[in-house]
Amino acid sequence: MADLPGRVSGQRQDRRAELGLGALASCVLLLIVGMVVFVFGKAWPSFAHNGLAWFGGGGNVDRQLTDIFNSPANPSNYVYKMHAWPLLYGTAVTTLGAVVIGITFALLSAVFIVEFAPAQLRRVLEPVVRLLAAVPSVIYGLIGILVIVPFVGNHLISQGRKESVQFVVQLNGTSLLVAVLILTVMIVPIMIAIMVDALRAVPSAWTEGSAALGVNRWRTIWSISVRAARPAIVAAAVLATARALGEAIMLSMVSGSVGFAPNPIDGLTFFVEPTRPLAATIVDNAEGLSVKPFGQTLYAFAAVLLVSSMFLSLAGWAAKQPLRKYGNA
Amino acid sequence: MAAHAHAVAPRTRAVESTRSWRTLDRIGLLFCWAAGIALCLITAAIVLYMLVKGVQFLRPHLLVTHPQPDLDQSKTGGFLDPILGTLILTVIGISVALPLGVATAVWLTEYGRPASLARAVESGVEIVAGTPSIVLAIFGLVVFQQHIFSWMSFTAQGNAVFARSFLTAGAMMSLIALPLVVGSTREALQSIPRHVREASYALGKSRFATIRRVLLPAARPGMATGATLGMGRIAGDTAIVVILLGASLQLQAEGSTPLLKTLRGTGSTLTSYVYNNSPAGEGNAPQKAYAAAFVLLLIVVALNFAVDVLVRRRKEPQWIR
Amino acid sequence: MSSKRARVAGCLTLAALAAVPAAAAAKPTVTMSGSTSVAPLAAKLASAYNKQFHHSTVFKLAQGGSDIGVADVAAGRVTIGNSSRDPKPTDPGGLVFNKIARDAVCIVTSPQNKIANLSQAQVQGLFSGKISDWNQVPGSTVSGAPDVIVRTAPSGTQDAFQKIFMGTAKVTTAASQKASNGLVAQAVKSDPRAVGYVSLAFAKGLNDAGYKGVACNLRNAKSNQYGGVRNFWMVTRGPAKGAAKKFISWIKHSSTANRIIATGWVPLH
Repeated sequence: MADLPGRVSGQRQDRRAELGLGALASCVLLLIVGMVVFVFGKAWPSFAHNGLAWFGGGGNVDRQLTDIFNSPANPSNYVYKMHAWPLLYGTAVTTLGAVVIGITFALLSAVFIVEFAPAQLRRVLEPVVRLLAAVPSVIYGLIGILVIVPFVGNHLISQGRKESVQFVVQLNGTSLLVAVLILTVMIVPIMIAIMVDALRAVPSAWTEGSAALGVNRWRTIWSISVRAARPAIVAAAVLATARALGEAIMLSMVSGSVGFAPNPIDGLTFFVEPTRPLAATIVDNAEGLSVKPFGQTLYAFAAVLLVSSMFLSLAGWAAKQPLRKYGNA
Repeated sequence: MAAHAHAVAPRTRAVESTRSWRTLDRIGLLFCWAAGIALCLITAAIVLYMLVKGVQFLRPHLLVTHPQPDLDQSKTGGFLDPILGTLILTVIGISVALPLGVATAVWLTEYGRPASLARAVESGVEIVAGTPSIVLAIFGLVVFQQHIFSWMSFTAQGNAVFARSFLTAGAMMSLIALPLVVGSTREALQSIPRHVREASYALGKSRFATIRRVLLPAARPGMATGATLGMGRIAGDTAIVVILLGASLQLQAEGSTPLLKTLRGTGSTLTSYVYNNSPAGEGNAPQKAYAAAFVLLLIVVALNFAVDVLVRRRKEPQWIR
Repeated sequence: MSSKRARVAGCLTLAALAAVPAAAAAKPTVTMSGSTSVAPLAAKLASAYNKQFHHSTVFKLAQGGSDIGVADVAAGRVTIGNSSRDPKPTDPGGLVFNKIARDAVCIVTSPQNKIANLSQAQVQGLFSGKISDWNQVPGSTVSGAPDVIVRTAPSGTQDAFQKIFMGTAKVTTAASQKASNGLVAQAVKSDPRAVGYVSLAFAKGLNDAGYKGVACNLRNAKSNQYGGVRNFWMVTRGPAKGAAKKFISWIKHSSTANRIIATGWVPLH
């Protein structure tokens, strides 16, 4: 915050407090750096053997994983071939889908809660949001796999649609659609919580000023409050994206467990095609971590997730820079 | 967030008919209503579904009997140990994450020098938020296998550290909760107007005294929000429990010191119990999974409610902006 | 981490004190970790063992997956690692795999597809994707493309399935890979055209397609008529010693252990 001269008394105590708190924060940083180094160290062989092809397509990911798992005993004969594109693509599509839908939905809900909801409804909505945020992902997964997946499989996928892609992939309900929907429900409350706080923190003088100029309430909110709250909206999006990237248990239960890249050319079928994001792949295969080349491949998946989080954090920071003049950042 | 709702002075809400609005604005408002109502409906659907399943399968004796291994669902006992496990683990996790997270947030907002270090800490915390907990779990397993951490679990016969215990799992769980605590505490600190700090400095208070006496009390609701969200995440995590807590059916104490022996021992939580008994696990007892999931949901609701009460009891300061 | 260390600094001294009496305790401890499928059996065996020998041994049982168990025992973190998969060439050296029981793997279809028998060629055709319509399988009561459901590569069941049923044939790349028996059962139950394989304990409520004319049940598996069985292992570092040795040989030879195994698994004798 501001660099104010608070130097009247207790300067030494102040200095110590700063150092102490700084040391704690640095410990957190050290631990995280340690983790990143550890993961990259473990992941290196997988990247080194494949080069840039690691990120490309080609071949079947699941078959490659099986081959890596069944590597011969001699370390020099370890199989590392991995072309992870379908997994990367699956991660990107589910995350983006959920975040884009989520931001819209969360912003509308946040504006509703702050500005339009009748007092009684607002009293209901606030605990509702916190409750939704706290529902464990295993419960979402349980409901997803026992209720939503069979529903999609039996009612939304016609026989003809199944047959149209039967030689490429099976459609049985576990799909991109279900994954994105549940993921959206999981990340929306986090975004709403942050956005509501930010919208409330907008000085009421600003909105009142706008209203006094004859701007209607709807326009006031979108042009004044929401604009002023942009840093928080960016922060919310970053946090939600991070959450979506890291979600594993629920996605491994509902997203389809096939290393397949849903193809937008397939039209509506695209939405009911299965996929499997990186995090879910790690969970699904965690049993095999101790098989050395296989474990290293899994760590490579984790490393990609870590790098994405890093870029995300950087992007969030960059997005906030031009907004600093609004004084809220 | 709840805190703000009840404490901030009622906003001046213009009583304004939407009739004068343009059609586009009215459609927008309609969408707002739709979003708000959809939110309620989704929550109601989840809660009601779990309630129905819970009432259908939950029997009081399940809450007080130990789980037993068996292939027959009717003989697998209750889930007393997982309930205790969830509570213990949540308490350990949050009692590490809360001080650490608040300290980090205070340093970031109030000091934050050198700026590059602050930036690094900030992204570090954001990176943790995007790390799948299974990665944290595996990392923790390697870290806590070092001999200096043997006091957190125990040294096995083969002279290697077992690394799985409530303490080790709790330590990693605190990392999961950390970004949430840091995030909401920072948000709360930043929303305190600058003149409040200036007023305190003008009264001759040092920076540290201002933080302790003015800023932290004012940020308490934000901290509470972060803590609740964090506890929710901890109570809801599965991967760390399976890898770092051992997911042993019953609490298995280690050593003989009361309390500490439980903390150094292994156990399971409701999430791992649900996961193991749901189709995703090998327990093959979906009815128990539903019952336990319902209890888990109740615990989460109770946590929320408790924090709500705690926060509501304090009156939040009203800043003149 | 350091703050956490500070927080529990007090406990540290307590822990040091506590370690002394714990080490002095006379009862031997057997620590196990590993496979979630072996865990229920291991737990039942341990409690029966203690009932028979008046709580002479302290058992600790953690889960985590076959490979966690194997890695743990290789590093000396546990006395016994439970594994539901066979030894692999990449396993660390010096491990001894002790076979304690077997488990039947059943080929299953949805209850709506009342197929009663599959030959080896049919199983291979279905799972490799060569059979593109259920019409081509005599006895099938559904039509359309079969949905093939298998397990992920590290799973012991997948390993066993490949060896026993598929031989050198490869599973179709279109197959869904599920991470557990329960997920396979769930997927097969809700999809009339699905075919998959699960451990015997998970076959309830599904249609057992049989294999080579033999139904998949405990009796046929015990009498060695049913071919699809896999192994459960208790892995030790070097030959088992002390309490672990006593426990494993009790499992292998005593009639009590045999009776317990027979409640849901296939005993060795």
